[in-house]
Amino acid sequence: MATEHRIVVDDLTKRYGDVVAVDQLSFSVEPGRVTGFLGPNGAGKTTTMRMVLGLVQPTSGRATIGGRSYLEIDEPTQVVGAVLEASSAHRGRTGHNHLRAACIAAGLPMTRADEVLDLVGLAAAADRQFRGYSLGMRQRLGIATAMLGDPGVLILDEPANGLDPEGIRWMRELLRGLAHQGRTVLVSSHLLTEMQALADNVVIVANGSLVRQGSVAEVVASMSHAARVEVRTPEPERLTELLVRAGGVVETGPTLIVAGLTEQAVGDAAFTAGIPLHRLATQQADLEEVFLELTHGKAGIR
Amino acid sequence: MTPSDRLRRVVRSELFKLRTTSAWWQFSGAMVLTTLVLAIVGGVNARTALKPFAEYVQIRTHGRFHGATVPPEFLSRLRGDWVSGHSAVTQAVTLYSANQLIGLLLVCLLGIVLVTTEFAQRTATSTFLITPRRGTVVAGKLITAVMLAVVAWFVTTLISLTSGVLFLHGAGHGTQLGYWGVDRSVLLNLVAYILWAIFGIGFGALIRNQLVATVSATILYLVGAGAAGALFDLLNSYVLSATWVLGLQVIAPAVASQVMISPTSLFTGSPPQWVGAAVLIAYSALFIGLGLRRLRRSDIG
Repeated sequence: MATEHRIVVDDLTKRYGDVVAVDQLSFSVEPGRVTGFLGPNGAGKTTTMRMVLGLVQPTSGRATIGGRSYLEIDEPTQVVGAVLEASSAHRGRTGHNHLRAACIAAGLPMTRADEVLDLVGLAAAADRQFRGYSLGMRQRLGIATAMLGDPGVLILDEPANGLDPEGIRWMRELLRGLAHQGRTVLVSSHLLTEMQALADNVVIVANGSLVRQGSVAEVVASMSHAARVEVRTPEPERLTELLVRAGGVVETGPTLIVAGLTEQAVGDAAFTAGIPLHRLATQQADLEEVFLELTHGKAGIR
Repeated sequence: MTPSDRLRRVVRSELFKLRTTSAWWQFSGAMVLTTLVLAIVGGVNARTALKPFAEYVQIRTHGRFHGATVPPEFLSRLRGDWVSGHSAVTQAVTLYSANQLIGLLLVCLLGIVLVTTEFAQRTATSTFLITPRRGTVVAGKLITAVMLAVVAWFVTTLISLTSGVLFLHGAGHGTQLGYWGVDRSVLLNLVAYILWAIFGIGFGALIRNQLVATVSATILYLVGAGAAGALFDLLNSYVLSATWVLGLQVIAPAVASQVMISPTSLFTGSPPQWVGAAVLIAYSALFIGLGLRRLRRSDIG
C-alpha cells in the first residue's frame, strides 16, 4: 500500500482573479496514519482538497495520488474516497438509493450499498428521504459513499461538522481504524483539540501557503514556548532575579512562568541558592496554542 | 475499463437516479395528460374542419348569423381557413402529432433538469468524483435524454394515433395511414423529440441555474414562434418586402420543429422540411458544444 496510496501536492497554486487561494503549496500525506489538514477559515484547505480530487483545476502545479492525478485513475472510487460536503445527495432520494446510484455509476455490486450503511450505522434510516436526515446522518451518508469502493485513500473535509460528541468519537475511532489498516487518511478540521486526539501528522496552512508539516509531537515541540516551566516558591522575588540572570524570561504572578530555561536548570539554580520550591513542572504547549501562534495574523477573509 | 463501459454505467445510473425521485412520474404524468387533452381538442377541431363548408360556417359562427347573411370579409376568412384545413391529410398530420406541442417542451425540460439538478441539489461533486471525465457524464446524460425522448414519443404518439384514428375514421375519412406524407411526419416527430432532448441537455449545461434555464426555455418555446412570426412580418412590411424574409422565421427553434414535421406549407415563404431539421440540429450541436466547453473549464463546488 505504501507509495501507491501517497498523496503528493507539488507546487500547487490556484488564483481566482487577483485572489491567490492556494500559493505554491507542497506537502505529502503518508499511508498508515491520520494526517490533519489545519488552517484558519479561507486558508485554502477546501480548494486544495478539490484540486487533489480533480474538481478544481489548478492554475499551476500538480497533485497526485500514488503518482497519478485523480483524472488518470482508472477506477477512482476504488482508490480514493472523499467526503467534501455533508449535503450532497438529492433531497427527494433515500439514502439507500443514493448509494445504489453511486454503485451503478462506479461499477460496484449493489450489495456494497448495504455493507457501507451497516459500517456507518445508518441502516435504520436507509429508506428515509435525504431531506429528513440530520446533519450528523448526512455526514455518515457522506462517509458511506466514500467507503463504497473500499478505497486506500480517504480525503475528508470537516467531517466532524454537525456530529454530536458520540458521533465525533465514532468518527475518530473509524478514521484511526482505517489508518491502522494502512490507508491514507487526510482530514481537515478546525476543531484543534479533536485533531490532537485524532491526527498523527499535521499539515498547517495559512493564506494558501504551508506553515508547518510534521508529526503532531514534532510540530508542538518545534515552537518557541514549547518548554515553559512553571515554578512556585515562597521567595518569588529572589528566584526571579536569579533566573533572569541565568538568561530566562520570567512572567511573575502566584506561579512564575519561565521561558528559555529547562526544568532542570531552574531546579539546579534554586537548589544552589537555597531557595525552596513548592512546584516545578514543564508546561507542554498543545496543538491549539501552536496553531494560533503559527497562523497568528494570517487568518481572516481575503 | 473501456470508455463505452464507463458510458454505460453513467446511463444506467442516470436512469436509476431518475426513477428514484418524483421526477419520473411528474414528467410522465404531465406528458400523458397533456397529450390526452391535445388529442381531444385536435379531434374536435378536425371534425369541424372536415365538415362541408355550410356546416363549417354554422359551427364557427355558433349559429349567430342564423337567417342573416355573414359579412363578406368574415366569410372569405372562414373560407380560407376551411380550404387550408379541409384536407384529411392535413388533419391526420395535425392529429397524429398532437403530442408535439407540449411533448417537445417537456423532453427539452427533461434534458435541462437532468443537467441542472446536479447543481440545484448539489450532487455535482459526488457525480464528478465517481466519473471524473466531464465529457463522459454529459454524453451519458445525452444518451439518457435521447432514450427517454424515444419512449416519450412512442407513448404519446400511441395516444395521438389512437384518438386520431378514432376521430378520422369515425368521421368517414379513413385513417390516412400509409400515405407517406402522414407517416413521414409521425417519424419526423420522433426526430423532433430527440433533437429537443439534446437541445435541453446543452441548454442546461450552458445555463446551470435550474429555474432560469427551465423558465427561459419555456418562454423561448411557447413565445418564440409567435415572436419570430411577428418580427419577420414587420421586417417584411417595413424593411424588405420579400417572401424569403418571412421564411427566415424558421430560425426560431419552435418554428423550425413545426416546419420539419409539416408536409404542407405552414406559412407564406415557409422553407422545405429539411431546413427545419437543419436549424434544429444546428441549435442542438451549438448548445451541446458550448455547454460542454463551459462544464469542462469550470470548477465544481
